[in-house]
Amino acid sequence: MKIAFKTLGCRLNQYETDALAAQFKSNGYEVSEQEYNADIVVVNTCTVTNQSNHKSRYVIRHAGRVNPSAKMIITGCMAESHAGQLQNKFPDATIINNKGKSAIFHTVDSLVKGGNTDLSDKDHDLFSYQSFSGMFHTRSLIKIQDGCDNFCTFCIIPFVRGRAISREASKVLENIREVIAKGAKEIVLTGVNISRYESEGLKFSALVDKILNLDGDFRLRISSIEPDRFDEHFFTLVGHPKLAPHLHLCLQSGSERILLQMRRMYSAKDFMTIVERIRSVNPNFNFTTDIIVGFPGETEEEFEESMAIARRVGFGQIHIFKYSVRNNTRAERMAGHIYEKVKTQRSKRMHALAEELSSAYRAAFDNTEQRILVEKWNNGVASGYNDYYVPMEFDTDNQRRNRFEVVKARVKDFE
Amino acid sequence: MQTRSFNLHTIIEKRVLTQATFILRMERKGIEFVAGQHIQVGPSNGIHTREYSIYSSPEDDYIEILVRQVDDGLVSPALNKLGVGDSVVINDAVGYFTIAEELIKDAKFLFIASGTGISPFHSFVKSYPGIDYKLLHGVRYANETYERDEYEAGRYLACTSQDKEGDFHGRVTDYLSKNPVSPDTLCYLCGNCDMIHDAFDILEAQGLRPENLFTEVYF
Ligand SMILES: Cc1cc2nc3c(=O)[nH]c(=O)nc-3n(C[C@H](O)[C@H](O)[C@H](O)COP(=O)(O)OP(=O)(O)OC[C@H]3O[C@@H](n4cnc5c(N)ncnc54)[C@H](O)[C@@H]3O)c2cc1C
Repeated sequence: MKIAFKTLGCRLNQYETDALAAQFKSNGYEVSEQEYNADIVVVNTCTVTNQSNHKSRYVIRHAGRVNPSAKMIITGCMAESHAGQLQNKFPDATIINNKGKSAIFHTVDSLVKGGNTDLSDKDHDLFSYQSFSGMFHTRSLIKIQDGCDNFCTFCIIPFVRGRAISREASKVLENIREVIAKGAKEIVLTGVNISRYESEGLKFSALVDKILNLDGDFRLRISSIEPDRFDEHFFTLVGHPKLAPHLHLCLQSGSERILLQMRRMYSAKDFMTIVERIRSVNPNFNFTTDIIVGFPGETEEEFEESMAIARRVGFGQIHIFKYSVRNNTRAERMAGHIYEKVKTQRSKRMHALAEELSSAYRAAFDNTEQRILVEKWNNGVASGYNDYYVPMEFDTDNQRRNRFEVVKARVKDFE
Repeated sequence: MQTRSFNLHTIIEKRVLTQATFILRMERKGIEFVAGQHIQVGPSNGIHTREYSIYSSPEDDYIEILVRQVDDGLVSPALNKLGVGDSVVINDAVGYFTIAEELIKDAKFLFIASGTGISPFHSFVKSYPGIDYKLLHGVRYANETYERDEYEAGRYLACTSQDKEGDFHGRVTDYLSKNPVSPDTLCYLCGNCDMIHDAFDILEAQGLRPENLFTEVYF
């Protein structure tokens, strides 16, 4: 029995797909990311923007066209927010909301073996995904948290992922020990809002500290984090040899007024303080980010403030989102929605800047000795990311994946 | 997923404060919260809800919100039509506009509110007897000072922008400019975005550190 997984959106979705795929694999299913020839296709959707909805629908339609006889399972955040609409559009599909996602193996297995889906309304455990390593990603994603109570005015995620909840620290550590024992070299912490991690009084920095003190040859990547809860403890960890010198620190806007309107819980000045304190330890530290352009009421000057802060930080990469209305969010009801044309034009300007900054940041690494976690090998060229999350490649005959190599390497696709 | 569940709560008291502003007291029904948090509230016969800071204290066996009706709004006029015996839907309390427990005893607080932004401060004051605070309340007219007698004498100061019946004639930002705040104060700002934005700048210029400024934007 072959099952294919298609994943949209964030790292947490990627983690959940990987974990489900591993569960199917260990139960004798053949798993793949290609829908061709699959008996079952699972689409793990995203709804963070309008574009994510479009992409999710496209992937479902496309999979159905490529392989009309496959059983279609739709899950993820769009299945949570647009269940009715998806069921109307894809009447033969089985829609499983986020609550039931971790139990998809049992649902599908009962469908395959008994002909009907065992869909239950019970609250499934958000952290019951089994530990695994080397599924679709070389890096080992570890879920430490789910849900969000921030309610930023533009964001639909608190409605589709539910309340903030943290996984017990002992379980997180046990999971990491297991994947390290299975050979994982890079641990990536994932969650909806990991800076709010707190379990039995243990906060995010304390958890990171404990992970860094685990035995083994691995590096820890924090990945995407909100800048609203950095404590002194965190700054003492910067520079630790096992902590990758990279944060995806979500800015969203460089304008103090827009940040307030978004109900973000930090100021642009706070953001810069974090960047400067970390860069004082490691001047090359890589900051990547998310920026929304064209938030309701954003003036040209306020957009320029986002450009200015991007220049000051010198982001290694920027994910740019044109503001997109999400139903029933506070921003939907705000005055001063920006014309699509203006949003597109701002987005283009931000993209041009992002490219310029990314090239400037990466240039320093080109043809230098770096530690690379090899993820791919093709025609004598191995590629992967260095500690700073810069994609790099080098020539070698060694085809083995998931190994560190310290080597003089080129920045990938660098012009 | 820990879903957010809405439950029906009966209104047990309604206090009308001005033509547009009122307090709804509702059954508590086990809602857990920390002073400063908010809930989503809506009429039981509609699908829309809005955020409201909790006005009462976690010690009370009821839950209260202070609402100003926005005339062209959807939910606040509907809430204003309700009375004792009617029901509303409420979900779990959330929010981070709270005071860290270890600070309550020794720190000096300045609470700055515009309009109904006074609500979480009322909850703070009721929840933490003995807290050392000053409350600056920006309103247009002196009849919008809501339940000012609830605060200890000398701690509440109304800044009225449209009449001279308050304690200070002008906006809270005018008051702050004329009366600098000592940099060791913890400042909590709640209400409309423009007031918070301007007050934040003034306070920073007066030497307050950003990490000692806490904000809750209503609109
Ligand atoms: C965390 C939080 C806590 C809040 N707590 C309170 C509270 O304790 N008491 C309270 O009265 N409101 C509070 N609000 C505002 C409240 O959620 C609603 O926005 C308000 O009641 C208007 O809702 P509506 O459906 O009537 O109007 P909508 O249809 O939502 O809005 C109509 C328009 O009015 C604007 N608007 C929203 N609120 C106001 C206002 N107070 N004055 C003038 N214009 C406004 C909106 O920006 C919008 O453009 C809070 C908001 C947040 C985010």
